[in-house]
Amino acid sequence: MTAVHNEKIASIESIQRSFKEVDYICSKSIATTLYLAFRLNKPILVEGPAGVGKTDLANKTAAFLDLPLVRLQCYEGLDESKSLYEWKYGKQLLYTQILKDKLNDIVKETNNLAESIDALHRYDDIFFSKQFLEPRPLLSALQHQSGSVLLVDEIDKSDDEFEAFLLEILSDFQVSIPEIGTIKAESMPFVFLTSNNTRELSDALKRRCLHLFIPFPEPELEREIINVRVPDISENLRIQLVDFIQQVRKLDIKKLPSISETIDWARVLLLLHADKLSKETVRDTLNVFLKFENDITVVNDKIHELTQHALKEAQG
Amino acid sequence: MEQVLANFIVALRNAGVRVSVSESIDAANTLDIMGYKDKVLLRTSLAATLAKTLNEKEIFNTCFDLFFSFDDFPEDHNGSNLDCEMEEQEGLSPLSLMILSGDQTSLATSMIRAGHALELSNMQYFTQKNPYVRRIMNYMGLEELDNDISRLSQDGSALSQQQAQGLRDGRGLLTEYVRTYVDRNYELYTRATQNNILERHLMNMKLSHIEERNVHDMHMIIKKMVKRLKDLHSRRKRNFRRGQLDFKKTLRKNITYGGPLFELMWKKRKIDRPNVVVICDVSRSVRMVVRFFLLFLYSLNELIVKIRSFIFCNNLIEVSSVFDDHPVEEAVEILQKGIGLDIGLSRTNYGQAFCDFQENWINAITNKTTVIILGDARNNFYEPETDLLRNIHDKAKRLIWLNPEGPTFWGTGDSEMQRYGPLCDLIRECNTLNHLERIVDDIL
Repeated sequence: MTAVHNEKIASIESIQRSFKEVDYICSKSIATTLYLAFRLNKPILVEGPAGVGKTDLANKTAAFLDLPLVRLQCYEGLDESKSLYEWKYGKQLLYTQILKDKLNDIVKETNNLAESIDALHRYDDIFFSKQFLEPRPLLSALQHQSGSVLLVDEIDKSDDEFEAFLLEILSDFQVSIPEIGTIKAESMPFVFLTSNNTRELSDALKRRCLHLFIPFPEPELEREIINVRVPDISENLRIQLVDFIQQVRKLDIKKLPSISETIDWARVLLLLHADKLSKETVRDTLNVFLKFENDITVVNDKIHELTQHALKEAQG
Repeated sequence: MEQVLANFIVALRNAGVRVSVSESIDAANTLDIMGYKDKVLLRTSLAATLAKTLNEKEIFNTCFDLFFSFDDFPEDHNGSNLDCEMEEQEGLSPLSLMILSGDQTSLATSMIRAGHALELSNMQYFTQKNPYVRRIMNYMGLEELDNDISRLSQDGSALSQQQAQGLRDGRGLLTEYVRTYVDRNYELYTRATQNNILERHLMNMKLSHIEERNVHDMHMIIKKMVKRLKDLHSRRKRNFRRGQLDFKKTLRKNITYGGPLFELMWKKRKIDRPNVVVICDVSRSVRMVVRFFLLFLYSLNELIVKIRSFIFCNNLIEVSSVFDDHPVEEAVEILQKGIGLDIGLSRTNYGQAFCDFQENWINAITNKTTVIILGDARNNFYEPETDLLRNIHDKAKRLIWLNPEGPTFWGTGDSEMQRYGPLCDLIRECNTLNHLERIVDDIL
């Protein structure tokens, strides 16, 4: 960690301030956890409903620390060769072909098979050296000289085996490659793991991480977020739409709208030149933040009261 | 201060949060960085290191509030006594001095010390609360305090009288405060343990004997159980993936490398998802257990994708959609009372049920289906239609019969178990949650 980094993460307040500069409003609990993670050098496991800015947190941390972001998207069947490293088979083959003559020279002077093999053994590491290694996200995150931000996205989508495999990296920041040996991180990467809770993660993994749960934001926070992300929208409309969304979150619907949807909706309303919410505009744009037919019906039935409440909120 | 953290972690563990040693070390490091000054910061940072699921966070918050709310003694009782002249206080016990001088910090410390010495966190039952209050008071020096009070009140001077009164008031407040302290400790350390005892008890209790008020707990337990089965099962599924070398695929894949076999491909076995048909008796003879069967059926429905559920009494109907469309309590209510369903709820007729099944849904059964029948086989002396059951058995992969009655009752009275039994692949007595769990594990 460089002096610049140290200065940036000097206190919780300064983290909050710096994140605001990169257009990310982080609540006190987010800032506190980040601060702790920086100080303790621990990965952060971020959980929360979809669209509350889990992935963005890692993006913005990279921007804030001015480090490269290395992203690993997890899915079922993800394995070492796709996440850690792979040998460049093609290159190996090509080189053996090109160097055929050289190999012949080596083998020529030997008398029998055993001697040839011995002769070759003296060189065999050449084809399994760093030049033939294709680093995948995890390895490249460790190799960055100045450190990096590693984002392991949607870890819950991967298999148990992969999760177990991550443990070594998360606790010691090193990986073992049988042919080469153990590679240690040049400088510790900041690791974020995100999860949507489609399955329970193992205790071993959780134990190695700090845990951060990002819930749906409080009205004030959400207003502030909209203010930063969609600055052109009028204050009145901002209060109205945030209140509307907050109310929708209390309804019994399948997919609750999250911050990203609020931002989308704010942008749409801005495009439509709406200056306040009305039943008609809301009805026309419901599909921006509701993703299920049934949900739309539920909200549509209550559209009048919801809009009225939102309008009142803006006045009071 | 480390002791405070250690105690807090014990309280968390008791409440059901799993805190490992490495996590407690993290927490200690966190405290070094954060300090105890800001309560909000303390809460968020400890939550990040100690509670790692949403559920655990909730427990954490409750515990945190309870644990760190040990504030000072109430301020109101010391006022006048502060002016007392010090020379008169010779010969008083330390406790009396603390009360008279209104030294709340010392009082609190002395109380907590007493609590530790008496191992308050070992309290197990709520009946122990009062004895503990008494013992803590004694430890703090109640006897000397009482002596002081009686000595001072016998002394004639006005000052002594005033002091005696002050001590008496203080004594009352102290008792009150110690009681609150013990109550909080009970909440922190004992409550959760009690819940565990209750849970273990419920697991082994006959389903028919569980009382209405425990139904909610029961539902929670069933949910937990289903989740555990699900976790277990999803893991086992992956173990099946180890296969043999798939030679054809390997050759095809390696053509690009011009012959040498660089990448090996393995045969993958496709795993059969469980495919289940459940037929459940909802008649009066099994009234006491039907609720739990249905609860369980509901949870199974969430767990298994390919499941079709049927209930019967006089006749048989399919109810898979009820489970999908309603929340659990509602669904169970609907099925138990047959609200809006085309079912007669007077006399159970197994024969008729099998006839209905044969006629309408027999195609639901393939050679991959596991059929589960939940019922006591009490047929009211109707025609048992064993042939139809045999037909189901022949078509299905497995036929399992779960009977809430114990084996000694099978075949007595109108029970047809002796006739149905030989047609099933597996018959089991099933009247506790433990039984249910074992059987489902079997099916998956």
